[in-house]
Amino acid sequence: MAVPVSGVMDAYSARIANYAVGNSGEDAVIEFTYGGPGLEAETDILIAYAGGGACIEIDKRTLPPGKPLFIPAGSIMNLINKPGGCRTYLAVAGGWDVSDVLDSKSTCLVAGFGGFKGRALQPQDVLSAPGNLSALAEKILNSLKGAVVNCPKWQIPGLVTSSSEHKVIRVIRGHESGWFDERSVSRFFAEPYRLSLKSNRMGYHLEGPAMSRMNKQELLSTAVTSGTIQVTGNGGLVLLMADCQTTGGYPRIAQVAAVDMPLCGQLQPGDELYFNEISWNEAERLYIEQEKHLQQLSATIENKYL
Amino acid sequence: MVNQIIPTKFGSQLSIHLPLMRTALSIYPISEKAVTIAFGDRISEELMHRINNFDKLIREHPFEGLRTTIPAYDTLSVFFDPLQVLKSNLPGKTCLQKVSNYLGQLNETETTTIQSEPQLITIPVCYGGTPGPDLADVAALNKLTTEEVINIHSSVTYLVHMIGFVPGFAYLGGMPETIAAPRKATPRAVIPAGSVGIAGMQTGVYPLQTPGGWQLIGQTPVKLFDPTRAVPALLKASDRVQFKRIGMDEFCHLQKATDADTGN
Repeated sequence: MAVPVSGVMDAYSARIANYAVGNSGEDAVIEFTYGGPGLEAETDILIAYAGGGACIEIDKRTLPPGKPLFIPAGSIMNLINKPGGCRTYLAVAGGWDVSDVLDSKSTCLVAGFGGFKGRALQPQDVLSAPGNLSALAEKILNSLKGAVVNCPKWQIPGLVTSSSEHKVIRVIRGHESGWFDERSVSRFFAEPYRLSLKSNRMGYHLEGPAMSRMNKQELLSTAVTSGTIQVTGNGGLVLLMADCQTTGGYPRIAQVAAVDMPLCGQLQPGDELYFNEISWNEAERLYIEQEKHLQQLSATIENKYL
Repeated sequence: MVNQIIPTKFGSQLSIHLPLMRTALSIYPISEKAVTIAFGDRISEELMHRINNFDKLIREHPFEGLRTTIPAYDTLSVFFDPLQVLKSNLPGKTCLQKVSNYLGQLNETETTTIQSEPQLITIPVCYGGTPGPDLADVAALNKLTTEEVINIHSSVTYLVHMIGFVPGFAYLGGMPETIAAPRKATPRAVIPAGSVGIAGMQTGVYPLQTPGGWQLIGQTPVKLFDPTRAVPALLKASDRVQFKRIGMDEFCHLQKATDADTGN
């Protein structure tokens, strides 16, 4: 059907936010790109947030990410810009209440369906949680509820993002990498690329050494996925992200390792990247390791409320 | 089944070759969660049927962890959950091995029992005028009258090779070269949903409002993609499509009916 996968750009942070309120990792979250919005709690709520680009303040006090936050009715929360990363995930106990379309709660922006009315949130929108909390969420709520903002001492550490000037992204050589000359491929792995302003949820345009072709073959449209780095007609690179098309006809120089996709979800225009090559076996190993780590985090929280 | 291990700087880059209907094909990973089966390197009806038959076979006999499949011109991609695949009893050490072994086994031992009648879908089109602002250009480029372009476009039965690009967009094969026209030098910022266009040797219908550079020769009131329908996309690979000319009155009438149905 060619419906894009869509969904969160940084799955690691989205899951942390969900685990912190006792949700399953797949419950619907709100993705904010940078700060700006204000939210009013019309009822008592139990929320958590994680990611980069913003933090939540109430009455100018910064609330910590990575842990459950009990917010009493009437509180006004503001998302304030914060350097480092760009996407913040807000989870509510029970998950945000949006219908499933095509078995997903995600928003399909290109076709205007899914999520909250098939679009980005606007002022005056009202969002709610269905109210059927998991047993764990109930316990967390009971331990925090009261008249004031409250949270436990524990905290889930966020995604470790290098605060250094450049970021190293692990990739696997792409299926059409042999279509490019040796020099182009060496430069791809050695020199930095910079995210251009022409970057969004569909994909990031990368500025850096152009790739030169060894052949004039055309690639017939074939399935692509987020993390695929395509080389377009003029030798420029595009890194496909969550809202990308399901098929593409540009040759593929590399595939970003799944383990580094959350890091990519936090990239901003101007960020500089270096690509490091790894094997498929290594990529699979790292992915499984990260999954086990996240499952461990979830189990650890469960154990605190036995 | 033959495994070919290609040594590279980073250990083995596995490319698995399996017999499929006595023609060797290769399976290669495109991510930790997906593999692509390559069937050939051209656009053909025969290839399209082979790919669709194997797609049906996989869906008839899903393996633990299978998420979805995406058929294309000469490839079939299989998406899965690596955790489920690794936990399963599928033979093989890595996900790639387990999935590839399974697909090879499936091919050797099973044939699909799903019979499908190729569907013929007739799409009503109001040609020219406001719905088809580029019809005259396409005619002039090909030294034809607009009537001739309309007749040629609507006299052919097209084959749907694959769905891609945006939800519900069908790649149609079979347009006569005589009405081919290059993409517009300056793309339009907005192309209404249902617009019928020509770009190079291809013709197609925009299911959604998007920007685009195709030459627009008409518009259909039919909704090619509706997420609320039981089957959201109107067209699928192997369907046949014919365009039927309708007048402006009928177009407006059908357009109102479609909008009423969807509460627009």
